[in-house]
Amino acid sequence: MKDRPSAVELVEAAREFLEREVLPTLADRRLRFRALVAINALGIAQRELDSSEPDVLTPVEAAELARRIRAGEVPEGSRALLEREVAAKLRIASPRYLDRYG
Amino acid sequence: MVTEWAGELRDRLAALVGAVDVESPRLLPGGASKEAWAVDVRTAEGELPLLVRRAGGGVIHTGTLSLEHEFRVIEAAYAAGVRVPRPYGYIDELGGREAFVVERVEGETIGRRIVRNPELAAAREALPLQLAEELAKVHALAPGAVPFLRGRDVLDRFEVELDSVAEPHPAIELGLRWLRDSRPEPLAPVVSHGDFRIGNVVVSERGLEYLLDWEFANVGDPREDVAWPLVRAWRFGVDDRRFGGVGEVEPYLERYVELTGRPIDADDLFWWEVLGNVKWATGALTQSRRHLNGQERSVELAVLGRLAAEMEFELLHLLEAVS
Repeated sequence: MKDRPSAVELVEAAREFLEREVLPTLADRRLRFRALVAINALGIAQRELDSSEPDVLTPVEAAELARRIRAGEVPEGSRALLEREVAAKLRIASPRYLDRYG
Repeated sequence: MVTEWAGELRDRLAALVGAVDVESPRLLPGGASKEAWAVDVRTAEGELPLLVRRAGGGVIHTGTLSLEHEFRVIEAAYAAGVRVPRPYGYIDELGGREAFVVERVEGETIGRRIVRNPELAAAREALPLQLAEELAKVHALAPGAVPFLRGRDVLDRFEVELDSVAEPHPAIELGLRWLRDSRPEPLAPVVSHGDFRIGNVVVSERGLEYLLDWEFANVGDPREDVAWPLVRAWRFGVDDRRFGGVGEVEPYLERYVELTGRPIDADDLFWWEVLGNVKWATGALTQSRRHLNGQERSVELAVLGRLAAEMEFELLHLLEAVS
């Protein structure tokens, strides 16, 4: 077994530190932007570690589907399947982006 | 910070712009592949703020122009009256690397501010027509003035780029497949900017001031540039303003067609909008690989590998309309 804090709790602690203690001290707007990107990166990692949602496609299935589409043999229902796959990726990477599609 | 090539730069600027006094160059934050230095000089006529672009130490980004060629494109654009920062000169060696010197300009370049800031409301009104007019000038540049610019088959190029990522992206493949199956008749190729969008322009309260970032210039179908600002990522969150988050597509397109006589209607741009999403989805993945393979370590580049899913989603959303 591993001791606490868990990986997700460590990532969360580092993200909170950047957000609450480092970000407010940064005046340079370029540096502020990069700090926000770093905070976002930790947010992605935290959501991924916290997620119990199964992948829609395994890596092998994704590679096979990619190969078939490239060869011009697009399986029926590919677009709808991929929309579910990409939506699942976005719930980790950029959950608010999905709100833009109402 | 005193750079070891400050003396070299002083001599070069004396010759290029008649500088009698040169302040120490200040490194501006940004990409490692190409440095940007602010340099203030004094000439017989007065103060002159300059920007020195200098090659970075890392590996050159494939698919972009060399600094020399980028400078030659800016010169050709400036000579033709395109609004670009005034070019002053190319320097083949500055501390062992190539560089070029242009006017350092003021104004807003950050996309999310251009689409939202209240003080830029009048600029947003003006931008669609101004950008149409500027793009018409770019597309009228004589290819002979920039003979090193190349054409390419865009779909083949994206396929090669996607393969270089070494990770399956069936959503992008579906976009490429639809693009291949629905390819329009080509229009005669023109000198193209290659990255024409909000985020690569300098904006003041009056609207457009300058077009920046010419390193993707090429010779290609004019509709690729025309449609690129429509891509949702370049609306910076103001999605209902389909033209770059600042306005409507129709007045922009009408003005462009009026000035160039090219027969393009709004429906024609759909194929190119899909292409734009394939291009930026693939671009985001290849940018993240620059971080992952050590060419340019950067958290900004790293997260693009995950944000490519936004463009994949938009791509699938667009394809829903034609499936």
